[in-house]
Order: sequence, then C-alpha cells, then structure tokens
Amino acid sequence: MTRQDIEREVIAVFHREFEIENPDWDADLRETYEFDSIDAIELLLAIETFLGAEISQTEKKQAVGIRTIRQICDYIEALARKRNLLSPA
Amino acid sequence: MERRVVITAMSAITPIGHGKDRIVSSLLNGVSGVRPLREEEFLSPYIHCKVYGTVEDPLQYDFTRNQRKTMGPVAYYACQVAKEVLEQSGLTEDFITSGRLGVAFGSIHGSPTVQRNIYRIFFGAKDKIAIKEIGAVDYLKSMVHTTAANITKMFGITGRVISSGTACTTSSQSIGFGYEAVKFGLQDAMLCGGADEYDTTTVAVFDNLLACSTAFNDTPQKTPRPFDKDRDGLVVGEGAGAVLLEEYELAKKRGADILGEVVGFYCNNNGGDMILPNLKGISSTLKNGLETAKLAPGDVDLISAHATATKMGDIIEAQAIHGVFGDHPYVVGLKSYTGHTMAACGAIETIMTLYMMQDGFIAPTLNLEEVDERCAMIKHVQKVFPHKVKTAAVQNFAFGGVNTILFIRKSS
Repeated sequence: MTRQDIEREVIAVFHREFEIENPDWDADLRETYEFDSIDAIELLLAIETFLGAEISQTEKKQAVGIRTIRQICDYIEALARKRNLLSPA
Repeated sequence: MERRVVITAMSAITPIGHGKDRIVSSLLNGVSGVRPLREEEFLSPYIHCKVYGTVEDPLQYDFTRNQRKTMGPVAYYACQVAKEVLEQSGLTEDFITSGRLGVAFGSIHGSPTVQRNIYRIFFGAKDKIAIKEIGAVDYLKSMVHTTAANITKMFGITGRVISSGTACTTSSQSIGFGYEAVKFGLQDAMLCGGADEYDTTTVAVFDNLLACSTAFNDTPQKTPRPFDKDRDGLVVGEGAGAVLLEEYELAKKRGADILGEVVGFYCNNNGGDMILPNLKGISSTLKNGLETAKLAPGDVDLISAHATATKMGDIIEAQAIHGVFGDHPYVVGLKSYTGHTMAACGAIETIMTLYMMQDGFIAPTLNLEEVDERCAMIKHVQKVFPHKVKTAAVQNFAFGGVNTILFIRKSS
C-alpha cells in the first residue's frame, strides 16, 4: 500500500459514501461539506475495511481532531505504517 | 389558557394517491388502493393474506445526502409530507426554527426494512468483522421516533417532540397531543402526523392472529369490506399523513388558509385485554370526547370509523357509535380504500375527512354491498353523495387497548 493508494481510496470513499466529488484537500469538512459525527463513524468503518484490520478505540479517539481530507490521508498512512502495510512510493 | 386550534396545511401519501386531487378523485370514483402482496423471500410465501394497500405512485424526492443519511423508507414518507405541509403553510424559516413550532409524528416501529437488514447481518455473521456491516446510522434510520427526529433535523425545528408509537392510534394521538399542546399554550404550532412503510412483518403479525383478509386474494380491490356481511379481516397498508396545527389568532394574523379546526380530542385505554375490542372502553372514549369538544351527539354529521373490517371490531364499533351518537351521523370506513395504513391511518383519515368537508361530499364505504345485520343500526354510506359536513369525528383504536377520537369542524 502506498500513499497514492490511500489518497485514491479516500477520494473513492468520499464519492461513494458521501457523494462528494473532487473535494478540496484542505477544506474544513464540516463547514464545506456538512461532514458530521455520523459521517466520521462511517469513514472509520470504511478505513477498517480498506486496511483489513481493526482500529483500536485509542486510535479512533485520535481521529477526533481531523478536519480535512489531507489529515485523513495522514491518519490512514500512520495506521498503515504501524501495521507494516505501507510500501515505498 | 385555552386557545382555538386550526389546521392550516395538510398532505398525504396514500395507496389511492398522493395529494388532494388524486385522493379526492379516488374517493369520488370508488378506486381502491389494495393490490397483490409483493413476492419476497422472507415472509410472503408463508402469509395467508396476499393483498396490501400499496403506494404505487413513484415518488420523486429531492432530499440532500445530509438529510438522506439518517432516513429509512418510513422517514422518506414522513419528511416528504412534512415538507409539503411546511411549503403549503407559508410559515417563515424564522418561525419554523424559533422553538414555537413542535413536531408530533410517529410510526408503529420505526423502519422494519432497516431492522430486518440488521437482523440479517446479526444472524448471518460468520466472524466478528461482519458485525461492522451494521452502519453507524442504522439505529437512527430504524428507531421508533425516526420520523419525528428526521423531520426536526431536515427543517431545523427546535420545539417539543412527541413521538407516539401506539400502533393504529399513533397519528391520531399525534394530532390529539399536538392539538393539546397548542390549545394549552405550550406551542404555537405543531406539525403532526404518522407514517408507515411497506412491510410484510406487520402482515405476518395480523395473519397469525387470524385478523387479515384472505378470501379476496384473487380480487384485492374487493377487500377490506368494513361492516359488510362478507368481511373477513383487515388489509395492511402503507402511507403517510401530516397536518399543521396552528393557534387560531396567529393563523388569522398572518393570513393563513384555514382548512378546518380541531375542536376536541379524547384518548383512553380499555384497561384490560390488549387485542379484543371493548364496547365499554370505546363508548367511554366517544362520550368523553363529545364532552371535551363541548358537542352534543347531534352536532356530529359524519364519523370516520376505525372500521378495519375485522369480524368483531366492526360490530363493537357500530354498537358504540349507536349507543353514543344514535343513528344521526353518517358513518364511513375509509380503510376500505387504502387498507389499514397503521401509524398513518389517523392522519390520513383526518385528511380525507377534511377533503370531503372542503369539497362537499361524503364518500361511501367501499365494498359495503350488504350490511352485516349486527352493524346495521348506524347510518352507513353506500353511494357517494353531495353533503355539507360541518363537524366530523375521526375514530381510531389500537392494540394495547388504546382508543382515540378527534373532532374536526369545517372552516367558516
């Protein structure tokens, strides 16, 4: 899994699950796309499916401060690295 | 403080049409909304009743993703009629979000379609990860107050929320409790109603209780047959109805169209058997309702009876009507057109009654070909005819022994 794979998947999830096309990478998701706590939970489920691994409660709580798509990709990248799923670009 | 409460908007999605024109046309022309039960793998092969009051009009929704994500099918119906009512009312966004408007809306058990999917995941799960297929929003889509909650979310309504879930009296209670909230000054307006989605679980429940119609599976439009000697049970249906109740002076001041007035409501319980109709309990509802509405029995021109077309239910209701109202008011069983729309029936039948008041006619009880002699003591309607109805009663009774009556007066 590369950073590019993660970015591609995140864009796909936003299109498929949240009907958000061509999102701005640095826009505040709540203000710009009405992304709320329910969406955040759905996103975490989608990330677990993508990683093929469970995200711990502690790791989930670390996602609370995430505001942008770029931060989501950073978050997934860190999870993937921790699980030795990340390969060099 | 007691204030007058008027109806300033209404909308219904029913098996005989969506919106006034279609519904009135069906009532005038004797069109039934009962159709063959759809085949599905889960229950329909085992259900003896093969008919259903089905909404066939394809509905066009323009809800946003943010609105849709917490909605099961029942909330789609509820939010659509709520949207139409608020648009029709002309209320401003400032008022809608001010806290002066509340919501009283329910369904019999949330969204069975979503619940069924949750159970399918539970019982089909082969490993722990499969449970994650249950979405974060599945509870919000299926919970018993999903209709009311989604309406408040969609329109930013911040007033009180009442979400009755008393089976067949759900939306008559919504209107009744909404009426009391406005009458006693707790809210200035209430958006009231009920909805239920297409669901074979409900059919299976009534089928097991031998309460469903089964003799007309090949001729769906011949059933249900309230008060008819050949009636053989109820037909489950789907739909939604909503009315906007408003304090009279407020409605008058803003120049709202006043479509009718709620002049009374009463609700009680039989205090015993949860299923069997109870003459004493129902008679008490009707008597106390008249008293609350400050009406004499002779003031009521028309009764929309609960009339599900079960053997005993119709007889007990006819006896109660005769005992309290005598044979003066016309009596019509509107479920003969739609089937029993469960949580929606009180609101839908109130709206149909208001349509008849507005357009000056009384629709007949469909399929009432030969009145059962045990129900013959009241004034049945077997043919459509012009009539100016001034005051009507809408009766609904539910499993659990709950009885309601609403009194509605024509707008002057």
